[in-house]
Amino acid sequence: MKISEIAQRLGLEICCGNCEQEVFHGCSGDLLSEVMSHAKPSSIWVTVQSHVNIVAVAAISGIRAIVLCNDHKYPQETIVKAEHEGICLLKTNKSAFEIAGLLYSIGIKP
Amino acid sequence: MSITEIMNHSVISVRPDRTLRQVKEILRIKRISGLPVVDSSRKLIGIVSIEDIIKALEGGYIDDTVENRMTKDVVSIESTATLKEVIEFFEKWSYGRFPVVDGEKRLVGIVTKNDVMMALLAKLGLVYLHDERRREVLDSPEYFARSLLTGERLDKSGADFYFSIDYFDINLAGVGASKLRQFLLSKGVDEKTARRVSIATYEAETNVVIHSGSTGAIYCFIKPESIFVRVEDTGKGIEDVELAMREGYSTAPDYVRELGFGAGMGLANMKRCSDNMIVMSKVGAGVVVEMEFLRGREAKG
Repeated sequence: MKISEIAQRLGLEICCGNCEQEVFHGCSGDLLSEVMSHAKPSSIWVTVQSHVNIVAVAAISGIRAIVLCNDHKYPQETIVKAEHEGICLLKTNKSAFEIAGLLYSIGIKP
Repeated sequence: MSITEIMNHSVISVRPDRTLRQVKEILRIKRISGLPVVDSSRKLIGIVSIEDIIKALEGGYIDDTVENRMTKDVVSIESTATLKEVIEFFEKWSYGRFPVVDGEKRLVGIVTKNDVMMALLAKLGLVYLHDERRREVLDSPEYFARSLLTGERLDKSGADFYFSIDYFDINLAGVGASKLRQFLLSKGVDEKTARRVSIATYEAETNVVIHSGSTGAIYCFIKPESIFVRVEDTGKGIEDVELAMREGYSTAPDYVRELGFGAGMGLANMKRCSDNMIVMSKVGAGVVVEMEFLRGREAKG
């Protein structure tokens, strides 16, 4: 499913990146090692971490989009790095639990 | 490198009709030492610094407006400036910070000496191939000159990829692993293998930054059947490798854990991603990690 479609259906705010990419899998977590070891390529990642290192984790694991929950904000350096790496950054005031449930319900696989 | 890459974008500014007392509070709360002054269209019209506040307290005019007491001929830098020009600005003027403005004099950021220093450090971390230092590091007679996995003498200067982990900022962790991933893909290594190699290397690199208290290096050799990676540091070493390998065991400090690192999964993750792995360490003499990745295989469960 296209990231832009997910953003629209879940009411996510798009912060940067190419939203026309497709994602098929989802993962959630705030421990970077945990995410790297479990995320599948072409994933969307649900988290509350916003510091710049999440971009490296995403790029290395093949994660294409990050959803930052609970109304946390991305620091500017995270956005700059994500633009450089082509990672799509999204944000929402909903909780990680709620976003994971919504992603699952629209057909994003574990 | 352009100034927009080093400056602070979320600059705090103040309107001219505020009082110096209010400025004093902003400086105190935000822990900064100066504020650009902007008009209603965000055009830069002045600057107030902590020095102005001290003078105002001494002179008894702390309740005066900013407009009456600010420095009006403020030195600003255009957002098209380069890092070199920024450094020249700091040499030429003795100010601690410069507001950054766009073509219409609107405030878009601020740059301090600390920003410049951090940018240079980040840049140094990115110098990874074909520089003078590479030769120095690679040619020096070293404590670890032999491969742990194969027992052979390791010709490090023949490495296909070399990256010096010469930074201590946890936010930069993974720069080397990201570079390595791009390098492997550019050499035609398949995506799955490149992913395994870069995840394991990321963990090793992060360990060097968090735990070693020293600098380190990443070497990668591309072989027809496999990818060979060696990550080493000269830091404080691991006391009990077996214990460190246990999933969930962590000695990471709290500030690192808050960022999502230090879950005690690094070494376990490296083992899972690689097909062969050896960790060697002596307290006080650093850590060497060697990993072999057979090409075209999936990661282990």
